Amino acid sequence: MNFDETDILLVEDSGDDAELAIHALRREHLANNIFIARDGEEALDFLFCRGPYSARSFERPPRLVLLDLKLRKVDGIEVLKQLKQDQRTKAVPVVVLTSSREEQDLVRSYELGANSYIQKPVDFEKFRETVKTVGLYWMVINRLPVFREAKQAAGEGS
Amino acid sequence: MVTTMAEILLVDDNPADLDLTIDALAQSPWRTHVSTVSDGAEAMAYLYREGKYSEAIRPHLVLLDLNLPRKDGRAVLADMKSKPALRRIPVVIFSTSQARKDIESSYELGANSYVSKPPTLSEWVSAVKVLNEFWIGCACLPREVES
Amino acid sequence: MNTTATRTARETEPSHALKPRLRVLLVEDDPADRDLILSELNKGEFEIHSDAAVTADEFRQRIRANCPDVVLADYNLGQWRGTDALEIMREEGLDIPLILVSGALGDVTAVECIKQGVTDYVLKDSLGRLPMALRGALKDKSAREERNRAEESLAQKVEELARSNADLEQFAYVASHDLQEPLRMVAAYTQLLAERYRGKLDEQADKYINYAVEGAVRMQSLIQDLLAFSRVGRQEIGVKSTDCNEIVERTIENLQGTILESGAVVTHGPLPRLMVRGLQLQQVFQHLIGNALKFRGPQTPAIQIAATKEGAEWTFTVADNGIGISPEYAESVFIIFNRLHTRTEYPGNGVGLAICKKIVQQHGGRIRALPRDGGGTIFNFTWPAEELAEGRGPAW
Repeated sequence: MNFDETDILLVEDSGDDAELAIHALRREHLANNIFIARDGEEALDFLFCRGPYSARSFERPPRLVLLDLKLRKVDGIEVLKQLKQDQRTKAVPVVVLTSSREEQDLVRSYELGANSYIQKPVDFEKFRETVKTVGLYWMVINRLPVFREAKQAAGEGS
Repeated sequence: MVTTMAEILLVDDNPADLDLTIDALAQSPWRTHVSTVSDGAEAMAYLYREGKYSEAIRPHLVLLDLNLPRKDGRAVLADMKSKPALRRIPVVIFSTSQARKDIESSYELGANSYVSKPPTLSEWVSAVKVLNEFWIGCACLPREVES
Repeated sequence: MNTTATRTARETEPSHALKPRLRVLLVEDDPADRDLILSELNKGEFEIHSDAAVTADEFRQRIRANCPDVVLADYNLGQWRGTDALEIMREEGLDIPLILVSGALGDVTAVECIKQGVTDYVLKDSLGRLPMALRGALKDKSAREERNRAEESLAQKVEELARSNADLEQFAYVASHDLQEPLRMVAAYTQLLAERYRGKLDEQADKYINYAVEGAVRMQSLIQDLLAFSRVGRQEIGVKSTDCNEIVERTIENLQGTILESGAVVTHGPLPRLMVRGLQLQQVFQHLIGNALKFRGPQTPAIQIAATKEGAEWTFTVADNGIGISPEYAESVFIIFNRLHTRTEYPGNGVGLAICKKIVQQHGGRIRALPRDGGGTIFNFTWPAEELAEGRGPAW
């Protein structure tokens, strides 16, 4: 897989949740290249183009990051903080997608620059609907800062 | 999801565009209360509850145009994202511009999201509905902060 | 004074006032030779103004002080050579013809001197050749000046053209970008009016509102197309090697809907790799194949794409069996917004071929439309072969 063509970086340590999310996104054709980072360290390595991902380029970040907060090795808040405090990565949109119900996680996330914050519904069907809405808003309605040339060519046809 | 009715602040100098958005929000699934201001200076006064805005409710979400008279949208954005009292409020840039540099610089300044104003009526209504569905129906917004 | 004698003198000798002036810098270390050369010069058709230099330093000084029309130099000047004077002139940024006036000069040396930039050489024992050599040198100089002026003028025109194209691009972009907002207002609100009052006013009002909506929507569509057109070339995308087979296959995939609906058969021969800016070649195929499908005739559409190499370029053909283009419109069909049919017959604003032409030209190629035997059209465009192209073509 070409890591530089990543549409969505999904940072999720729950295999089930990850699968559900990917399935929902793919079914609605909202994203093609989805990369899963299983813990905070992997997410940071990926985003900061180091370790096993040192071939990656800062010029081609993932178009969107879906970030869980409860992660092993490095927690979501720390990942968010590092991402948003670095000039090279701060413009990457991050949507926190967490099971946390803590008010302070919500506030801290927005304070640290999270673009948005979603509480994962417990219900399986609602979770799928939520991911669909997230994908529809962020990948279709919202304009993301990284431009893929494919978007242009697909648009020309008159 | 907010437990009280969501408060949206629209910042746009074109009353025609404001009306389109208000109508579209009225057709959207989640009810909201909308306030409007037509320039950047008014926007800051509203957010700080100055003068005639002393009773204003802090918005849960701001839809901000870029090209505004007096204080332009970029300056409002930069201001909001540098002030502790205001930085947590999600700001969606809502602008005619599709220019790459406007989009990139908005995210650099801390904009939470960027939506280009669609050219047709139906796309506009559609976009606002999805915006409403996401921000009001799906996302969690920070509550009122005592300043 | 004897006036008769003076008048006679004036009648028989060429008047000095009518002789063209020639400024000569003579570089000669032997005074006898110098006198000989000068007297030969004075016999000629020019009014000679001479200056002299012996050493390289003197030469540099004199050439800076009075810019002569021609330099006459001996080859052997003791410490230096006449040909060194060429280097000095080059350093000073001067382009003055130099004639070597020398004793015996072997053929090899003579050729070497000419190669170095000496305009001509005259042997000291054939000074009679001097006037002809001078004439030749001056003609050469004026030819060179003419060419420099032409080059400068061309460079200026290229710059002006580039700037004017840049302005046009800028204008197209700004115009279409800034027009969007008021246009949206008109389109959206006429539609809202239509929705709100349809059937509530009279029939005439409904008609008027519908025309207004149609006009506004069409304007929006034109603006979007104009923006797309102006975007070609405004972006800074680098060229990269692209496999045309993949491009065509991807285009066919994008057009799957129309292809299935019409039962069209789209085939292609082996296609090369080319240097392409971004996805611009895909846009070209998208428009050409899309048009071939749109303007189909009564038969099932059959479209063939092929490429042949001719010298330093590839020639692509996109052939169809559609309604064809009448030869009188074969050129105008590439003009932006030019359409050959009404909107009810075929949709679209007529910008696809204009975009194709722009893209092809920017990459250094040409495009044209030809009628096909038995009906249909062949679109034919060239593209420089991969070995050549890095950053080819004018900046516009």
